Amino acid sequence: MSDVKSESQVEQAKESGSRSRSASQWAVAWRRFKRNKSGLAGMAIVGFFVFVALASPWIAPFPPRSYAGLFSGAAGAPPSWEHPFGVEPSGIDVFSEVIHGTRNDLYVGLGATLITILVGVAVGAIAGYFRGLIADTILGITQVFLVIPALLLILLFARIFAALVFAGLGLTLIVLILGFFGWSGVALLVRGEIFRVKELEFIQAERALGAGTLRIMFRHIVPNVLSPVIVVSTLNIAGYILTEVVISFLGFGDPNTSTWGLLINEGFTYIRTEWWVSFFPGLAVVFCVLGFNLMGDGLSDALNPRLRE
Amino acid sequence: MASYARYLIRRLLFMIPVFLGVSVLTYAVGNAAGDPIALIRIGLRNPSPAVLQALREYYHLDQPVHMRYLNWLWELLHGNLGTSVTGRSVGDQIGAWAATTLELQIISLLLAIAIGIPVGILSAKRQYSKVDYAVTTIAIFGYSMPTFWLGIMLIIVFSFNLGWLPSSGAKGMTFLWWGDPLLDHLAHLVLPVFVLTYVGLATIVRLVRSNMLEVLRQDYILAARSSGLSERTVTYRYALRNAITPVVTIVALSFGGALAGAPATETAFSWPGLGFAFARAALVLDIPLVQGITIVITLMILTANLIMDLTYAMLDPRVRVD
Repeated sequence: MSDVKSESQVEQAKESGSRSRSASQWAVAWRRFKRNKSGLAGMAIVGFFVFVALASPWIAPFPPRSYAGLFSGAAGAPPSWEHPFGVEPSGIDVFSEVIHGTRNDLYVGLGATLITILVGVAVGAIAGYFRGLIADTILGITQVFLVIPALLLILLFARIFAALVFAGLGLTLIVLILGFFGWSGVALLVRGEIFRVKELEFIQAERALGAGTLRIMFRHIVPNVLSPVIVVSTLNIAGYILTEVVISFLGFGDPNTSTWGLLINEGFTYIRTEWWVSFFPGLAVVFCVLGFNLMGDGLSDALNPRLRE
Repeated sequence: MASYARYLIRRLLFMIPVFLGVSVLTYAVGNAAGDPIALIRIGLRNPSPAVLQALREYYHLDQPVHMRYLNWLWELLHGNLGTSVTGRSVGDQIGAWAATTLELQIISLLLAIAIGIPVGILSAKRQYSKVDYAVTTIAIFGYSMPTFWLGIMLIIVFSFNLGWLPSSGAKGMTFLWWGDPLLDHLAHLVLPVFVLTYVGLATIVRLVRSNMLEVLRQDYILAARSSGLSERTVTYRYALRNAITPVVTIVALSFGGALAGAPATETAFSWPGLGFAFARAALVLDIPLVQGITIVITLMILTANLIMDLTYAMLDPRVRVD
């Protein structure tokens, strides 16, 4: 451990005099991550999907939910050069839909993860840093959210709110619902980390030297809590994308927005004949989720101090 | 033993707030959007006046919402899950679905544990070997795959193209597969059990492997080896016991996840269970039925968690201490 650290500190000193210690920790983590082949592969896959999502309006041959194939006579056509992933019997080009779905599914994954981080860190910090009735109540609520069959309630919320109040929200409704039901894991994680770090000797030493609460919070606790949150959030993105696919597959999503789940849902009607309609979007799901999972595992290895040598 | 009993009571008491929390959420959902009758009108195109009247009585719409909730909870605690918008008792309908769901889930879970633990150990013992790479690759795909999608793909290959296995349901409608009612049921179980086992397996294998790797690195294992114990004893008696405890938690969590995920997997296979029924009921906004299924699934998950807690306490005496 001391080897890697001192080496990076020397590098750090060369670059910018003697700046903050935390930056060198990230440099160490990046060096460890670079050595992890599957983590890098995951990052490459994620990068590819992010590129597709950003460039989707330019690289997709047809606009979203367009029935172009109906007029060109290609409706229900199997994969070909013109339609690499085939065409739905309704005339929708599967390749274009998968590309548009990339953008929407990443939006759901990232958006819900952002909400999860905001709520989870706030709740976890309160439950971890304070004591007494409020902290206990919050902890109780968190544990309830951890045990409940969230997917069932997510489906119900999606159906009811889409039907009644927020019909115009589209995918953002799904993002909000996923975030609402998903924060408990991060909250418990943050609480546990704060509990652990708070009692470590170096914090007590810092306190004995007269450091204030804010300094301890931001200089020591936040950086320590940050790395597990990053790891879990990467894995959460994967989980939320999978959940969105389930929601849309069951017909509880937004029927007017291209998502991978919606395509699988439409294809499910035709699996006897047009297998390509549900095959290709599912493949996209597998690789995208795989990318985030590999990257998350790589980050976990790179950021886990117990594995440092 | 006294500590074990105390622990059991503490866990049982924890179930009460969780159950109440779920009941509040489930009940709130049906009332979140305002008038529950308006909601049902969306699902049911033309409800008859008799149905509407029954619904008004069912919801006790003349009372404030918290009284209605307490009323519903009171009935629930007496085993009355209410009446579905189709006019049938929710409790009567749920029984058979619960049995088919549990059959599928428990068979898959037991298979996943039975295969996952030895494979995870093997993978850890031969870290970075070809076997290890194969196992971890297969596992991470299982971990990244929508369960129901894998099911659909297998249906396309094995039912529609090869014609080896049935594509939907729990029993043959027009003819019996493999000529016998029991074998017919088995034939219908093969694909869903395979899919659920594979996905459950992936989680277990990954966790067993990483825990074994961590435990095998520790000093007491080195000490055990250097005192001349056989590799077998070191692995199974010394390392496994410490590596297995977190697996118990994950098994319970993934069982809960599989139960909550049942709507998708059961819809893919048209499996006549709670999940399939939930998906259909939620689409037509049959709120009483949906609430009933959610409560029953919650109870199943809580039971699984309790079993997990007890196993955990048996394997690891430290958790029994306050």
